Amino acid sequence: MMDGIWLGITTALSGYNIFMVAIGAFAGTFIGMLPGLGPISAIALMIPVTYGMDPSSALILIAGVYYGAIFGGSTSSILINAPGVAGTVATAFDGYPMARQGHAGKALAIAAYASFSGGTIAAIFLLVAAPALAKVSLSFQSSDYFALMVLGLTAVAAFAGKGKFLKAAIMTIFGLMLATVGTDADSGVSRYTFGNMNLIDGISFLLLAMASFALSEALMNIIENQKMTKEEKEALKKEIGSLKVTKKEIKEIAPVIGRSSVLGFFVGVLPGAGATIASFLAYGMERSIANVKEKLKFGKGSLRGLAAPESANNAACSGSFVPLLTLGIPGSGTTAVILGALISYGIQPGPTLYTEQPALFWSVIISMYIGNLILLILNLPLIPYIAKLLATPKQILLPLVMFFSLIGVYLVTFNTFDIYMMVFFSIVAVFLRLVDYPMAPMILGFILGGMMENNLRRALTISDGSLSFLWERPITASILVITIIMLLWPLITQLFLGKMGTSEDK
Amino acid sequence: MVKSRIGALFFLFFSLFYFYKSFDIHLLKGAYYETMTAQTFPYYLGILGIVVSLLLLLFSFIKIDKDDLFDMEKLRTYDFKKAFYLILSMIFYGYTIRSLGFVISTILFLILGFKILGEKSWKIILLTSFGISIAFWLLLTQLLGIYVENGLIFEYFLGAQS
Repeated sequence: MMDGIWLGITTALSGYNIFMVAIGAFAGTFIGMLPGLGPISAIALMIPVTYGMDPSSALILIAGVYYGAIFGGSTSSILINAPGVAGTVATAFDGYPMARQGHAGKALAIAAYASFSGGTIAAIFLLVAAPALAKVSLSFQSSDYFALMVLGLTAVAAFAGKGKFLKAAIMTIFGLMLATVGTDADSGVSRYTFGNMNLIDGISFLLLAMASFALSEALMNIIENQKMTKEEKEALKKEIGSLKVTKKEIKEIAPVIGRSSVLGFFVGVLPGAGATIASFLAYGMERSIANVKEKLKFGKGSLRGLAAPESANNAACSGSFVPLLTLGIPGSGTTAVILGALISYGIQPGPTLYTEQPALFWSVIISMYIGNLILLILNLPLIPYIAKLLATPKQILLPLVMFFSLIGVYLVTFNTFDIYMMVFFSIVAVFLRLVDYPMAPMILGFILGGMMENNLRRALTISDGSLSFLWERPITASILVITIIMLLWPLITQLFLGKMGTSEDK
Repeated sequence: MVKSRIGALFFLFFSLFYFYKSFDIHLLKGAYYETMTAQTFPYYLGILGIVVSLLLLLFSFIKIDKDDLFDMEKLRTYDFKKAFYLILSMIFYGYTIRSLGFVISTILFLILGFKILGEKSWKIILLTSFGISIAFWLLLTQLLGIYVENGLIFEYFLGAQS
């Protein structure tokens, strides 16, 4: 393992790769800051840039973009109460009140320190957890993988939020359906191509990701027509105040950061959870363990309330790399897009990645430390200028976002049909966004679709067509039991909470 | 109108169509003896899609959340016109990128985009659109070594070798 870590350090510390992390972190910060554009869009927009790069450098750049996007989201949350990313909604609860009290600089600095610590602590956990899990997963068979994917997809629906379970489920199925378009990998038969040559290769994941995220987010931004209010414009013009954090304040938030990072990491590892849930959980946890006097401060500019979600969301980002790197199964929309990118570089993540491509495996983990450090170095002095970037007019930015997404896909195939297909999918995505159907489960289903079918086919062939593989292997069976519990969870909690409610009423 | 119901109907029709079309998947000879053919996965996916969208439809009648209704006042402030024009300009971009070439069609697309979204200053419009497309073209062809077609219009005027 030490050899691997050393190899990772030397790869990640090459000048070129440090440059890549810096570019990624900066681009991610910028894109993540734009309200409405999240990490999935940021990563999708940067993927075309990485084609032709060495896979390690490409993945390092993308990890930088991911962190940057989350950090960028915090900046807009704190300054104008408009989170660019769902994972930083909780940041606005206390960050924005702080900014209104004239402590914007301090809030941004705490956000940067908390993100840095959260990311670093989680990267250390990742260093230990990933190889361990990779070793365990070497014994996994197709049936286990199939069960894991079912679990992952169910978890995404189960964590989608109150009343959204079925919506997320149908979006996952929609993604799986789209994945069957094209030539069947096993028999070579074409499916759902309707005789169109352009569909023979299937729908490219980059195209779908760009259309359903970057393009449709830009279109939604135009449709919703949110103009910056006078208040927001003035908030941007205001001086952000001192960036200094006193020793006493550091003492106050240090334990919060520690707790939230650990919580964030484990939530990130879980399939389907991720940065958003981690940040809300951490915020909720801090509020519930705070004393009465502290509790009153929450929502009015509490330092703890700011540090908790900020460290948790960055820790969750690192945590979500665990299932991706060791099992090759993404747990969230964002890691699904990263997986798609990896596959297009010709890399199949999974338990063997750790042994076959140690340089890649370790350099990504090591570059997470570096990415966090660079974010801190890059962003702290740049905070006042970054704030000004938010004031760049939308009418200039949005056509540029559209141009980059269209050209990013077009330059891969030089096929104009792809542009029309993107327009089509972005219209469908805008429609689905208008009726409140979540997009991330679709992209996850789409990426997992092919793998799921292959593993199911293999498992069925091994068991000679019988479905007995579902309960004969202990690993498969236990994963499926967890899946069923998760499926029934909303029902169980409702029954349970309903009873509790009535007993409390009495 | 209930939002989840509209979505449920959309997915119900889509799943029905998908399920129906799964029978059109051409099977190879001998596929009969296989445990899983190219049709199996789509067939069950179609059924699953129909079931889940029917459930969604059912629930949209049983329990209506306040959040699930369209906020008409908010809807009225929505700007569908601009989005529609931008979609048209994207199609225009796809239509012209091969004939006019990368640089010209990108400049036109960006000018259209800036104008549709209401940028008034021609100085900014022209500087940004020309700057971005030429810089991007230079980056692609000179720095990254990616071949970008010149466009049919150049070939027409300057000959295919230009």
